[in-house]
Amino acid sequence: MAVSGWFVSLVALGILPIIVTGDAAMLALWLLFVAALGAVDLGRAGSPRAVRLARELPGRVRLGETVAGTLLLTNTGNRRVRGIVRDGWQPSAGATPRRSPIDLPAGERRAVTTMLTPFRRGERAAAQVTIRSFGPLRLLARQVTFELPGAISVLPPFNSRKHLPSRLARLRELDGATSVLVRGPGTEFDSLRDYVRGDDVRSIDWRATARRRDAAGQRLVVRTWRPERDRRVVIIIDSGRTSAARIDNEPRIDTAFESALLLAALASSAGDRIDLVIYDRRVRARVQGATGAELLSRMVTSMAPIEPELIEMDWAAVPALVRSVTAHRALVVLATSIDAPGASRGLLSVLPQLTRKHTVVVASVTDPTVLDATGTRSTREEVYVAAAAERALLDQARVATAIRQLGADVVTAAPQDLPPALADTYIALKAAGRL
Amino acid sequence: MTATTGALAGPGAATGQRVTTPTPARVLRRGLFWIAAALFLLTIGVISIGVAGSGTGGVTLSSTNPAPGGARAVAEVLRQHGVTVTATASLPQTIAAITDPADTTLFISDPDRYLTDEQFGTATTLARTVVLVDASFGQLRAVAPGVAQAGVVGASTLTADCALPAVTAAGTVSGGGVGYRVTDATLTTTSCLGSGDRVFSLVQVQNPGGDTLTLLGATDALTNDRVIENGNAALALTLLGAHRHLVWYLPTAADVGAADGASLASLTPGWVIPGMLLLAVTFLAAAVWRGRRLGPLVIERLPVTVRASETMLGRARLYERSSARLRALDSLRIGAIGRLGAQCGLPRIATVDEIVAGVAGLTGRQPGAVRRLLVDDIPNSDRDLVALSDALLVLEHDLARALQP
Repeated sequence: MAVSGWFVSLVALGILPIIVTGDAAMLALWLLFVAALGAVDLGRAGSPRAVRLARELPGRVRLGETVAGTLLLTNTGNRRVRGIVRDGWQPSAGATPRRSPIDLPAGERRAVTTMLTPFRRGERAAAQVTIRSFGPLRLLARQVTFELPGAISVLPPFNSRKHLPSRLARLRELDGATSVLVRGPGTEFDSLRDYVRGDDVRSIDWRATARRRDAAGQRLVVRTWRPERDRRVVIIIDSGRTSAARIDNEPRIDTAFESALLLAALASSAGDRIDLVIYDRRVRARVQGATGAELLSRMVTSMAPIEPELIEMDWAAVPALVRSVTAHRALVVLATSIDAPGASRGLLSVLPQLTRKHTVVVASVTDPTVLDATGTRSTREEVYVAAAAERALLDQARVATAIRQLGADVVTAAPQDLPPALADTYIALKAAGRL
Repeated sequence: MTATTGALAGPGAATGQRVTTPTPARVLRRGLFWIAAALFLLTIGVISIGVAGSGTGGVTLSSTNPAPGGARAVAEVLRQHGVTVTATASLPQTIAAITDPADTTLFISDPDRYLTDEQFGTATTLARTVVLVDASFGQLRAVAPGVAQAGVVGASTLTADCALPAVTAAGTVSGGGVGYRVTDATLTTTSCLGSGDRVFSLVQVQNPGGDTLTLLGATDALTNDRVIENGNAALALTLLGAHRHLVWYLPTAADVGAADGASLASLTPGWVIPGMLLLAVTFLAAAVWRGRRLGPLVIERLPVTVRASETMLGRARLYERSSARLRALDSLRIGAIGRLGAQCGLPRIATVDEIVAGVAGLTGRQPGAVRRLLVDDIPNSDRDLVALSDALLVLEHDLARALQP
């Protein structure tokens, strides 16, 4: 049962007869009158228990976008249900409006639409639906809560896709698809074609020229090259405790997801094969053997529910993990954090095993506030903070140097800059033929 | 859910929806135990109060109080002997109760001093025979100015020592209570039950008009607890049973302020109190209106928020607390040396001396001063630390400006 503001006003209105008559008995009379009126009203209210409910939800939404969730209410009772309905979503589902008015005649069905703008990644759930049904006088209401679970999967936003067109253009330049005045870097043989003015004379294939007999006479034949295709890219994302730390109000793991998505989009259009493993002490998610549009779709779906665990990353198992993904040479991208020599010991100990066979890139987010802190030193406290920041930068530099000495590449950047930086590293590696 | 409702709900309807709100019948069933328990306790309480009376306390010397401190025994025995005992609680009641002042004994006991002196004076003139128990200084001044209170009487038993019928009938009387001393010799008084030093527990004052005022200090003699001891019963019955009517007046709070006849209720309009009650009811209704939640809260597991810069700030606080100035400065110096070396175009493996020489050459500073700043100086206070840190920034700035074309 619930009480409306009208009911409260009606009770308060009793002051008039009490003042007019000046009689204490009037109070009891008025309260009896209000109670009787309320009882009649409550008796006339449509039964919310007779309402049948159903949800219609989109399965997935990208973080930051808005979708409509529909709640279908069917009145199977024989009285009209008028009142409010609340769809009980979790706060981070960003449901608006929180409560909607309904007018549900007997035997009819109405839809209540709730706009959902989730502000957290993962599975956002609704637990229940509450219906408050007022009587015809809107004094008292019957209220019932139904258990009606529902959920939408909130995918990573992939904001870094804005960097994709510029990187794809650079890839096409590499590929030779865009006309450039270079021979076209790459190490993989593509085709033989007739020499045209402007081709590098060093690319003339004399043996093929000798084999070629043409009615029009002798033509020169050049070899063309293209970047390697069908290389393997293995992305391993650390979902251990260090990935939970927030930099610029974004957890490290979200930045890693953005970087992985941009890299995957880029590499799949370059013709490479992408495998993704999210790992801490067990495999949290794995995307293997997907290509094209399905790849990104499967990646975001598998990333959506993953939150960092408060456990230490097990680096010792990573070489075996990479072996289980591919037996061939691959580009292995490790998205983790390199903050302190102590914390990175596990990573450093397994890197030689990986670099022996694969090209390894370690991608790590740096904190822009640390860099800012080194410059502001006006007070005593700030000087100490600046000293600690310098020490942190020094630690990072030491770990990065150690990683480079072990034969891996290091990409560090602020959260917004890491995805394009990783993509650039990939393009550079591809151009150098190191994949 | 029946088949018809399922059809009504249409395709895609959630089947087997569960209602979490309990029905009124279920609430009642669930609360049955507690309702029963409350009723049981209430019954027990009512029964026990009915059996044991209203408790051991009660009003001292009340004619209706069966507790040890009450005086119901005396009143009951007097009733059995044909005396009409009327208990009154206020002065108007007492005035109304006394119809025949000549044949009425007025018993007054006011240990809580509700009555003012004037009210007291009025009360003692209502009947010809008045028995005043445990009178205070003020009360005595109002009704018998020649008698003074003489404090607590220590003797446990008092012996009859005057010709007063009540006292001679009693023989001995329990002594607990107060005593009086007659200070005005011109008064016609009879003093009985002396405990030495001219202190008496019973003083009877004969007023010029023929009225009799008996001041009884030995209050214990009237209580249910003690009335059967010694000759207490004889004293009480003789003293109070002298006339056919006995008015047993114990002043209460009703006497306070009744003198001017105006109470708060009589000064306010009639609707104020019901209006206040209505306000309270409205407040309750409004509380229910605003307080009723539209369904329970939906629980959400929130991730831990860890700022990555916390380690850096923690380390800064450690430096600060332990005043690790040299260590802090060395961190700043190493960072500065690295940047300066890069700005000078020196390789990463360049030594400090090479960088000092390079920086001094480019900025035009003394190599010794640059070396002291970058390597040798030791900060002895926080002021030194801040000064050196500023000097490092200035040096980097100067080098950058020197390198600008």
